[in-house]
Amino acid sequence: MAVGLTVLSVMATGFSPVEIWDGLFRSNAPLRGLRNPDFGQLFSERSRGPFLDTLRVALLATAAGGLVALPLSLWSTRFGAPNRGVYAVLRVFNNIIRAFPDLLWALLFVAAVGVGALPGLLALFFFTIAVITKLTTDTLDGIDMGPLEAADAAGARHNEKLRVAVVPQILPSFTSFLLYSFELNLRGSAVIGLVGAGGIGQRLEFFRGQGRWEEVWGIVFMFFLVVFVVERISVLLRRRLV
Amino acid sequence: MSTVEARPLAGVPARPVPVFRRVATALVMVLLVWSVAGLDIKWSRLLEAPGDLYTVGRLMFTNMEAAQIGDLLGQMGDSIAIAWLGTMIAAVFAVPLAFVAAENLAARPVVWAVRLVFNLLRAVPEIILAIAFVPIFGLTEKAGVVAIAIGSIGTLGKLCSEVLEAIQPGPVEAADAVGATRLQRLRWGVLPQALPEIASFVLYRFEINIRASAVLGVIGAGGIGQALSESLRFKEWGTAGLALIIVVVVTMIIDTLSGWVRRRLVSGGPSRRPASDLVVDDRPLEVTPLG
Repeated sequence: MAVGLTVLSVMATGFSPVEIWDGLFRSNAPLRGLRNPDFGQLFSERSRGPFLDTLRVALLATAAGGLVALPLSLWSTRFGAPNRGVYAVLRVFNNIIRAFPDLLWALLFVAAVGVGALPGLLALFFFTIAVITKLTTDTLDGIDMGPLEAADAAGARHNEKLRVAVVPQILPSFTSFLLYSFELNLRGSAVIGLVGAGGIGQRLEFFRGQGRWEEVWGIVFMFFLVVFVVERISVLLRRRLV
Repeated sequence: MSTVEARPLAGVPARPVPVFRRVATALVMVLLVWSVAGLDIKWSRLLEAPGDLYTVGRLMFTNMEAAQIGDLLGQMGDSIAIAWLGTMIAAVFAVPLAFVAAENLAARPVVWAVRLVFNLLRAVPEIILAIAFVPIFGLTEKAGVVAIAIGSIGTLGKLCSEVLEAIQPGPVEAADAVGATRLQRLRWGVLPQALPEIASFVLYRFEINIRASAVLGVIGAGGIGQALSESLRFKEWGTAGLALIIVVVVTMIIDTLSGWVRRRLVSGGPSRRPASDLVVDDRPLEVTPLG
């Protein structure tokens, strides 16, 4: 079965190892550019703005997405849904938005609201909702039902019950999901710029269009530096939360 | 007679001030304000966005032409082929490397070096790799295959080396006891234990790669992404809507099938599957235990 699929794939893509080998080791522009990347990009006036925009978009999308994802995931559990209909609808909704990669959201929103930072923000907003909701509903499956019963017994209303008996239990995990999806969004916000959704990706696309590979690689490396630093901080914070 | 005196309760102790939490909250607030202030967005446009989205959605789902289904399914097939071939090539490189990256099987400096390579490869999103490979291989599926393959080696290698590190020492000792050579020890003591989980990780990576390959076409690396981005750019809404539905439905079907196979593969043994079935990214998420 696996072999059959592989053979089919080779036929469909016209793949040949020799060609790959030739291509990689023939002199070519991207690899030449890789030899001396332009590390000045982070400090150049015109790239710093998009860099910061990327950070800002990632921050806002994470915060807004998290705000929506919390009630959404509470309502898409058996005990948290106001009624069975809501539960069923939300489950389907969650499954559908989860099938969209970040770049697909970006394409959609660039088409709907035009080029710029706004479609990028909206794209990552929905992407964040998908990620955090999935993770949080998984966590919710494993909570302790005791506090819920206690709140019930004390006569709490439905949403009060969720707030006082459920939210405190999942809050540490939820915060760590937020940080995690911030990391995802930071990488995502660089990629979605390729389709016109603002940020450093747009700058990358600009240099790529002109074939200026030194600058392209410079931006890529600088970006990894930023992502690496943010990830370290985020991992530290997540440890602190546990 | 008792020497213990009952002391009155000195009142409830004051709640500790959650310094860390307050500082963190303040910091996040400042960052958010900075973000809103710094972004060049007309925030009033946000109110129009749902309307715009509705318009686009309506255009997409009312102008679909059934005649295009076959064509688009073919391109989705290309995307799947790219993902599968990329995953297989990555596995060919990653699985042997994983043996060298497992602390219980290889020398420490080697482990360290191979892990470094894995981590570097893991940091690069496929689409960035594809950007570099499109000028090398032209606007073809090959660029996508190579991008996916290289992008997957790092994660797959890391996950597999973790599986190898978690094996039981018993069978390895048994193989040693009957005088196995190094290679025989790996073949009979290690591989049978790790293979189901390794296969399951490869499939899991395939699921992730389907999502990646479905969008690689955006920059010209083959597959359905090309049709999708072009139809959106030229405002052929019907085609875009159909392509979107095909991507989502096919992705969900493959997830389900692959998830079923993965469960079959690891059932029976202790399962160490990724923290969650979430298929968005591959980096391990440290899931916090419930407080």
